[in-house]
Amino acid sequence: MGQAYAVLVVGGGHAGVEAATAAARMGARTLLVTHNLDTIGQMSCNPAVGGLGKSQLAREVDALDGVMARAADRAAIQVRVLNRRKGPAVRATRAQTDRLEYRRAVQEAVLAQPGLEYLQSSVQRLWIEGDRVRGVVLPGEVALEARTVVLTTGTFLAGRVHRGSDREDAGRAGEAPSQGLAEWLRAQGFHVERLKTGTPPRLDGRSIDWQRLDPQPGEEPLPRLSAEPPERRLPQVPCYLTTTTPEAHQAVRSALDESPIFSGAIESAGPRYCPSIEDKVVRFPDREGHTVFLEPEGLHTPEVYPNGISTSLPGSAQEGLVRAIPGLEAARVTRYGYAIEYDFLDPRQLQPSLALRELDGLFLAGQINGTTGYEEAAAQGVLAGINAARRDQGAEPWWPSREEAYMGVLVDDLVTRGVDEPYRMLTSRAEHRLHLREDNAESRLAPVGRELGVVGDTRWQRFEAAQAELDQLLGILEGQWLDPQQVGADRAEAVIGGPLSKPSRLADLLRRPEVGLDQIARLSSIWELEGFSAEIRERAEIEVKYAGYIQRDRTEHQRLEAELDRPLPKDLEYRAIRGLSNEVVQRLEAARPGTLAQASRIQGVTPAALSLLRVHAKRRVG
Amino acid sequence: MSPRTIAAIATPPGKGGVGIVRLSGPLSRDIALALSGRRHLAPRYCHFVTFRDRHSQPLDRGLVIYFPGPHSFTGEDMAELHGHGGPAVLAGLLAAAREAGAEDANPGEFTERAFLHDRLDLSQAEAVASLIEADHDSAARAALRSLDGEMGRLVNELDEALTELRVFVEGALDFPDEDVDLLGEGQILERIDDLLGRLDRLRERAAGGVRLGRGYRVVLTGRPNAGKSSLLNALAGREAAIVTERGGTTRDVLRESVAIAGTPVELTDTAGLCEAEDRIEQEGVRRARETFYSADLVVFLVDAAVGWNEEDFAQWQRLPVDRRHWLWSKVDQAPKGVDGGGVSTVREGGLEPLTELLRTRLLDAEPQDALGARERHLEVLERARGHLETGRQAFAGYGSGDLVAQDLRWAQEALGEITGRLHSDDLLGRVFATFCIGK
Ligand SMILES: Nc1nc2c(ncn2[C@@H]2O[C@H](COP(=O)(O)OP(=O)(O)OP(=O)(O)O)[C@@H](O)[C@H]2O)c(=O)[nH]1
Ligand SMILES: [Mg+2]
Repeated sequence: MGQAYAVLVVGGGHAGVEAATAAARMGARTLLVTHNLDTIGQMSCNPAVGGLGKSQLAREVDALDGVMARAADRAAIQVRVLNRRKGPAVRATRAQTDRLEYRRAVQEAVLAQPGLEYLQSSVQRLWIEGDRVRGVVLPGEVALEARTVVLTTGTFLAGRVHRGSDREDAGRAGEAPSQGLAEWLRAQGFHVERLKTGTPPRLDGRSIDWQRLDPQPGEEPLPRLSAEPPERRLPQVPCYLTTTTPEAHQAVRSALDESPIFSGAIESAGPRYCPSIEDKVVRFPDREGHTVFLEPEGLHTPEVYPNGISTSLPGSAQEGLVRAIPGLEAARVTRYGYAIEYDFLDPRQLQPSLALRELDGLFLAGQINGTTGYEEAAAQGVLAGINAARRDQGAEPWWPSREEAYMGVLVDDLVTRGVDEPYRMLTSRAEHRLHLREDNAESRLAPVGRELGVVGDTRWQRFEAAQAELDQLLGILEGQWLDPQQVGADRAEAVIGGPLSKPSRLADLLRRPEVGLDQIARLSSIWELEGFSAEIRERAEIEVKYAGYIQRDRTEHQRLEAELDRPLPKDLEYRAIRGLSNEVVQRLEAARPGTLAQASRIQGVTPAALSLLRVHAKRRVG
Repeated sequence: MSPRTIAAIATPPGKGGVGIVRLSGPLSRDIALALSGRRHLAPRYCHFVTFRDRHSQPLDRGLVIYFPGPHSFTGEDMAELHGHGGPAVLAGLLAAAREAGAEDANPGEFTERAFLHDRLDLSQAEAVASLIEADHDSAARAALRSLDGEMGRLVNELDEALTELRVFVEGALDFPDEDVDLLGEGQILERIDDLLGRLDRLRERAAGGVRLGRGYRVVLTGRPNAGKSSLLNALAGREAAIVTERGGTTRDVLRESVAIAGTPVELTDTAGLCEAEDRIEQEGVRRARETFYSADLVVFLVDAAVGWNEEDFAQWQRLPVDRRHWLWSKVDQAPKGVDGGGVSTVREGGLEPLTELLRTRLLDAEPQDALGARERHLEVLERARGHLETGRQAFAGYGSGDLVAQDLRWAQEALGEITGRLHSDDLLGRVFATFCIGK
């Protein structure tokens, strides 16, 4: 047995892959242990990457040179940009991918990563000495020594599947649940809770009457998630839309007494943003139909994922439901839908570095922390990988703030608020949404990523070149003036829809709502403007148009947060503060906020409660 | 045994112009009725009244607010008497309350009762009042001020309307595949306008309450020697300001609290307005002008013996248009033919025209439904308004949802300084409760 590993990652899902590759990129000697090497990069649910809030996360992972976005681009078979007209801050790319191709792309990235070793084995338990981790123990009492361990084995920890009145212990469909870890965590005195989620039945595409359905094609030219242009792309296929019917709802309603959610067999909270079809039918009885998205699982499989009808009804009722949907009258179910309950660790026990507060050297990332989604898992994976490597180097932990990245929003929400449903990123969670855009993800994070050592040379060089180009264009826009005489009233009227009353900077003209960069180029006849790529031109336009708003956002933020930017003593005795309600005391004790600002985001903390905290903190700190 | 009804002066001594006598217990309402001479008190409503003692002698004018239990600060029936007078007048109010059946509260007894009645949330304020006082942390103190009554209700209503709008906007942004697209339907401008209208109305009423709470600010101005200081002395009933027959006597800003038409007025004497050469006089004029910003009324005196001249006109032009008013002074010396509408400090009844002016310009113009608000609340409402306004422009101009959404968020953050923060997760909760969302 050789020297101790710097970072040992347990689990080969999306969090584990990003953690292991990030740590290795930072030069840490890293080992990835997973129970099955062939399932590294497996998409356990619907094979799609991106969407609101999620695409921003995927791009941030990408900006730190992560794997996810590149793999998704390579495996994409239908890509759309959502919210194109609602503004760049809420624009989100969503890629339907080929499940096999995605897995292949991820595995290639893992295999190609220098400094990363891998091992197929299950993990018996963690090896702990005192209050720090020493490594892991494999079956047969084989000890593997490591200075830090990242646990990402959360995919349905101690999972219990429900379908009708059937229940069975299982991880995700067809995999063994990791019972041991959950028990171990509980035994160590960690706070472990339960969540619930569900999936729809999968269908055999060959039995679907496609002719009757509305296709939803992807966009051309093909959008991409990674800043790194892909070498090749797969042929594109459309998704299809259909809708549930009153008959389908009737099928659901008549089977409700067999639903484990309504019978009380499942008590844990499911996600509000992803209700089961049972929930939809019960809560919105007036709706005649709910949209169903028929999404292909890949190019080489006929399986189809009917997004929108997640259910845990008995198999026969699922068939009844499916067959009452137009186009699916003869559809064959290939796998039945189910609800699954699983364990997660209350993330308020973590530091924002994703290290456990009470156990030195142990990091947690992914679904084990109560999140759902590949992107959320990947974002935590990168962060945990970086911080494990930094812990090994004896460096301070790093995490982005809420103003810098969705990643920052994610960890801050997790460690201060905790979760009571599977946590999914959405753009409305970000106060600084106007700044946290897809288009500037790399500008926001690549420089710090480079400094951390997690961004490799190839990416850095390409980023620097693009950034230089952008800066050059911005320089022209801020530096060049247009004179009314030089332009002429008629031309101004024709091109930008109004006169030029005084000499103006190009950037100021561009800030007018109705004016775009193309018009500026035409009006000014500055030939250099033509030389920039469409992508750079679009980025510059957004930067200029949003600059004022983002500045205002900053000032407003500083005004509000300046007062809250005060540290709270680590050992503040909340119970001793007279006037805080019990409920608030409990929440504060669970999260132990580091600053007043964090405290202000905890549920139930009112302005009055904040004042109490402020006064006590001040008394203590002096 | 029914609990005692307790009373205490709630404002810390020497802070601000308003003093509050607070009552808690079963007799609160009766005592408030007796002192205010009213037959009925609407719950949580600011009534503007004259307080009188047992012998119907007026004590002070101010606000009375009745808070029925259990949704009051202590959980019991409560009343607040807001007076303007100094410590002596407050003590008089407290004595009258005692005569009407109240007993002096022990230190901390209000807080204690609040705890006993599980009114923990609001009692937090009182529990730490002393700590905060010691810390001189004005921001914390401001945050602690509880909002009771009509004002609180209306701000919360406004906040609720804003939440509803945000539910639609955020829903449309975060769930583009669902049919909740308010942005596309263009209703959003209408709804912002509606919010703006409500906000303006609320602000007007709150501003009225703030004025009632602190008394009116009336500034006396005019050219040197116009008779400003004499008028102040006459109204104050004492020789507060130096008066000489020479112009340029007054250099500093001088304030006197007086009662005019039964209403507390803070009267301000200032240096005469002129193009001064002298450094001291210049400074005096600068200070005089500063008082105009916060004044409710600026009274410009023109010496009737001299009449309007060019310099008067020049100075008059620079006064705040909406709050300026001019009067002749020294009308006893007016040449024949000059309109009699002016004041005289030597003639019997010579002050009546000013009293009349204050009545028509201030008292009668006051909204009848003034709210118990504070300056800080006005500032917050003003800020919220600014955000709604820019949001409106952004949406009208760019038509994109992300900008207007941010303005709505800031508007709500501003209101949150009164109502408490709405966390984005709670907003999402509302989105999910309103729409059937999710794949
Ligand atoms: N007859 C008569 N004389 C008055 C009246 N009011 C003021 N005076 C006289 O006018 C002169 C100036 O009065 P002040 O009150 O000092 O005037 P002011 O406007 O304060 O002057 P500055 O402070 O120098 O700007 C004094 O001699 C007063 O006695 C009045 O109503 N009638
Ligand atoms: Mg004077």
